[in-house]
Amino acid sequence: MSMTDSPGSAGLRERLSALEAQREEAQRTIDELKSRDALKTQFLSNISHDLRTPLAAIITHAEILREGMLGDLNPRQRDSVSGIVNGGQQLIDMIDEILTYVRSASDQVGLIRTEFRITEVVDQVRLLNGALAAKKRLTIERLNGDDLPPVYADRDKLKHVLGNLIGNAIKFTQDGGRIWISLSRRGPDCDELLVEVGDTGRGIAKDHYDLVFREFAQVDSSPSRPHHGTGLGLAIARKLVELHAGRIWVESELGKGSRFFFTLPLNPRRD
Amino acid sequence: MAARILIVEDSTLVTDAYKVLFEESGYEVSSARTVSEAIEAGLKVPIDLMLLDLRLPDGSGIEVLEALRKDGRLPRATLAMTGDNDAASRRSCLEAGCADVLVKPVPIRDLLRQIERLLA
Repeated sequence: MSMTDSPGSAGLRERLSALEAQREEAQRTIDELKSRDALKTQFLSNISHDLRTPLAAIITHAEILREGMLGDLNPRQRDSVSGIVNGGQQLIDMIDEILTYVRSASDQVGLIRTEFRITEVVDQVRLLNGALAAKKRLTIERLNGDDLPPVYADRDKLKHVLGNLIGNAIKFTQDGGRIWISLSRRGPDCDELLVEVGDTGRGIAKDHYDLVFREFAQVDSSPSRPHHGTGLGLAIARKLVELHAGRIWVESELGKGSRFFFTLPLNPRRD
Repeated sequence: MAARILIVEDSTLVTDAYKVLFEESGYEVSSARTVSEAIEAGLKVPIDLMLLDLRLPDGSGIEVLEALRKDGRLPRATLAMTGDNDAASRRSCLEAGCADVLVKPVPIRDLLRQIERLLA
């Protein structure tokens, strides 16, 4: 009796064709999920764009009133109109965050690398956040970094990452607290830059370390939570750091503060 | 004579807001909602400043610039407006001759200051 005719080989053939059918089924599911994901990305991108337009009109009209271009306002009227401008601006920031996330999630983000000093970007972000920090009597210090070599990276994207980390530090640190940025070299050949953004804020429990970097995740997601946002900030920061072949993580102690770290290769390949 | 501003924007909500802003600041304002309306408006009278939205129902704002350039009727200055700050569209606008690319909503003081500077 030849092999092809044996009862064992018939069973094998049956098993093989069942496996092939399963593989095809799995492939169909993957294709369908991919196309649904692309549709979702397009939808989010369109809706973000369409939300901006009426908001732009609302903010512009409110600014015209606030500036007194249509007549003087009394202080209470001005406060009220300022509330419209600020609320609108907050919505714009959230829409921007969604757009950035959608782009980074669908791999539409490429890096535009240039050579620059990381200290310049850190100082720029400190300056941009100065007014917000001053409102809570927070200090934002850069502890070191003047002796570091320039990095070859995407300046805007690093600014975004630092802006997010410092913005969070401001949000979650009580009045009068301290925020610092420390920059150093690490790795066996000192070929990695380590950036630390630390704060004396309320801290994150150890079992939430991973959660904070996940999309749409907020440690407190109840409607009464004190801090609102899209829950995308750190997920975006993670993607942007990973695009640079770096890593991002957090170390924290509840009630004492958090230290967010990310690395950047100092000598990436130059194509 | 007041400088003439052409707003090219498909949302009447946004156009109305800018109209109030520019008219209150002493400019003469007209508007267009599509590429073809904008080209027609740009050919009809000389424009000092064009505020150009990039996403229009019948094409891209860049097409307006190209058409007006062909006829030698480019405005003295053009400011592009976009909904998202994407590096590629920013580059193509500057290459097409825009003085700057602004992300909507532009704070009105910044916008007025920039227009004043461009028309000085």
